[in-house]
Amino acid sequence: MILIAGLSHRTAPLPVREALAFAREGLPEALHRMTSEAGVSEAMILSTCNRVELYGWSSEATSAAALRSFLCAFHGRAEGDLSPYLYGFDGDEAVRHAFRVTASLDSMVIGEPQILGQVKQAYQMAAEAGTLGSALGTLRDRCLTAAKRTRSDTGIGQNAVSVSSVAVELARKIFEDLRGRNVLMVGAGKMTELAARQLVKGGARATVLGGRTFARATELAAALGGTAAPFESLRDQLVAADIVISGTGAPGTVIGPEDVEHARKARRHRPLFLIDIAVPRDVDPSVRSLDGVFLYDLDDLRSVADSNLKERRKQAAAAEAMVDREVREFLGWQRSLEVVPLVVELRRRGDEIRRAEMEKVRKRLGPLSPEQEQALESATSAIVNKLLHAPTVNLKEMSRNGHGAEVVGIVRKLLGL
Amino acid sequence: MTSQFCLLAALVLYTIGVLHVVVLALSRRRVLPLLTVTATLAGFAVHTAALSQRWTEAGHFPAVGLHDSASFLAWAIVLVYLATYLRTRVDALGLAVYPAAFALVLVATLTPAQDSVDPILKSLFLPIHTLLAFFGYAALFVAFAMGLLYLIQERELKARSPRTTFYYLVPSLERCDTISGRSVAVGFGFLTLAIVTGLLWSYSARGRYWSWDAKEWSALLAWLIYVVLILARFRTGWGGRRAALVGIAGFAAVVFTFVWMTVTSTAAAAPGGLP
Repeated sequence: MILIAGLSHRTAPLPVREALAFAREGLPEALHRMTSEAGVSEAMILSTCNRVELYGWSSEATSAAALRSFLCAFHGRAEGDLSPYLYGFDGDEAVRHAFRVTASLDSMVIGEPQILGQVKQAYQMAAEAGTLGSALGTLRDRCLTAAKRTRSDTGIGQNAVSVSSVAVELARKIFEDLRGRNVLMVGAGKMTELAARQLVKGGARATVLGGRTFARATELAAALGGTAAPFESLRDQLVAADIVISGTGAPGTVIGPEDVEHARKARRHRPLFLIDIAVPRDVDPSVRSLDGVFLYDLDDLRSVADSNLKERRKQAAAAEAMVDREVREFLGWQRSLEVVPLVVELRRRGDEIRRAEMEKVRKRLGPLSPEQEQALESATSAIVNKLLHAPTVNLKEMSRNGHGAEVVGIVRKLLGL
Repeated sequence: MTSQFCLLAALVLYTIGVLHVVVLALSRRRVLPLLTVTATLAGFAVHTAALSQRWTEAGHFPAVGLHDSASFLAWAIVLVYLATYLRTRVDALGLAVYPAAFALVLVATLTPAQDSVDPILKSLFLPIHTLLAFFGYAALFVAFAMGLLYLIQERELKARSPRTTFYYLVPSLERCDTISGRSVAVGFGFLTLAIVTGLLWSYSARGRYWSWDAKEWSALLAWLIYVVLILARFRTGWGGRRAALVGIAGFAAVVFTFVWMTVTSTAAAAPGGLP
């Protein structure tokens, strides 16, 4: 049975998560101790900033409570204090949880992509520590496949949900490719830097305009691999710019319609994307009416982020349905495994009887020709196979419907196995 | 198998594409994209079979009358769409193409085929001129659709908050503009050749290049609009919104040309009605 215990951003505040987190270096030891102390034969630990979860597999009647106790004991905490923050899942519930976590449906920001890599790495660590067996190994494969499928078939991973990534998304909606685009930064603040950094990562070139604090502009330009220019060159810089990020502390507008109009002819109709993250605003809102000019202020960026988040939630419903299907399929497959030993035994027993009876017949009939031997062999095999065919199929079918353990008991008793 | 049977099969296969884009528009989910492309390719194959069958049945190149023109135009549109889609993977283009192709094939299946024994239809100019013209129409249709998508996405971006599903579905402005521009260039090339072969055909059949027909004038008008558009793009880096609007105007002239051609060729299996 697969067991999971742990805590996440849903159940525990950051200090608690921190206290129970596992450091990378300590993982191998923790995994080994888990297998020796918590009664599981396979172990995996997923420790990220949003969750700490122990995954285990046990063929015996262990429950997730054992993992909870181990988690507390490992960190030297009393279980009583922590129990409101902890959860535990056994069997089917655990499988469902594992699928949802990997598919980023349980994440703080639904659909965030990091979790997939973190889960992969956690299994990798377990494999290296030698605590990953076939049960958790199969769970990993199925979870990762399902997660990738939900990502590609639904939109949960699409659309930016933070202000700076929305700016990049919009830039891509206008320009498609950011490579070779010119980003003009007006004002060298924290927010402008954050947005510019992402644009530069996409291949854009940065120019930083500096006023009184020109040293700061030079410094930032160097950090972004771009150039600095004096504030007075704004109008000329507007000609070359594709994207302008403005975030000065100026009390009035810094970029007016006449500045943009001035640059328009020389720009040869290229679109201009203005991002105004200053409060009070730097760019005169009237430039919006100009053809090919797209101006977004802080509220606009937030409203796009909100729409995107709603969009993700909508897509999450479709993703949940997909994950549900994958979980059912996995559970069915897992249950069909319960009857495998019985089926193998049935076949072995049938073959034993067949051979014994063949021996008897041979003794009675004396030496047989190869053709007769062949005929006897295939006739007896056919009897065994035909007799066992229906029970085998039905056993698998029943186990898939969750009656495996019960049926296995009855059949064993019935056949005296 | 008759051409009508093949045409119905193509209609059914294109329906899969229509359903795909309906789901795409409503839920933004790309359901079974591979199946859709495969169905479209298969639809195109049986559509080709339908046209070649029809060619045998009619005894002349199947581009006369509403039945043949609609079917043939749909075929050209699907071909140009497939070529564009396989290169660019722009799903949103299907929003325009599938309904258009479906509607045209539907019209074709519902109208009777017209056969004509006009000797002018035996001319080699018929297939050459028609193929050039229809490829041109199809490319210009794609250009028109991408221009429309451009305008829609521009409206979304100007609104500063995603208002409709198109914000998510339509590619970037630059992409729409580039694809539209390229399709105009291709369509314009075909249109030019179609007009030239049309003039030559007219001369060889009737001894005069120009018949003062509305179709000729509107083709010329469309051609002029596209000349202006292409020159403006080259010389001043013109693009985006204005290019999309001019492209739409040019396409309106193309539509008129096609409709008038179809009407006259439908009315005139009568001698002298063509070209």
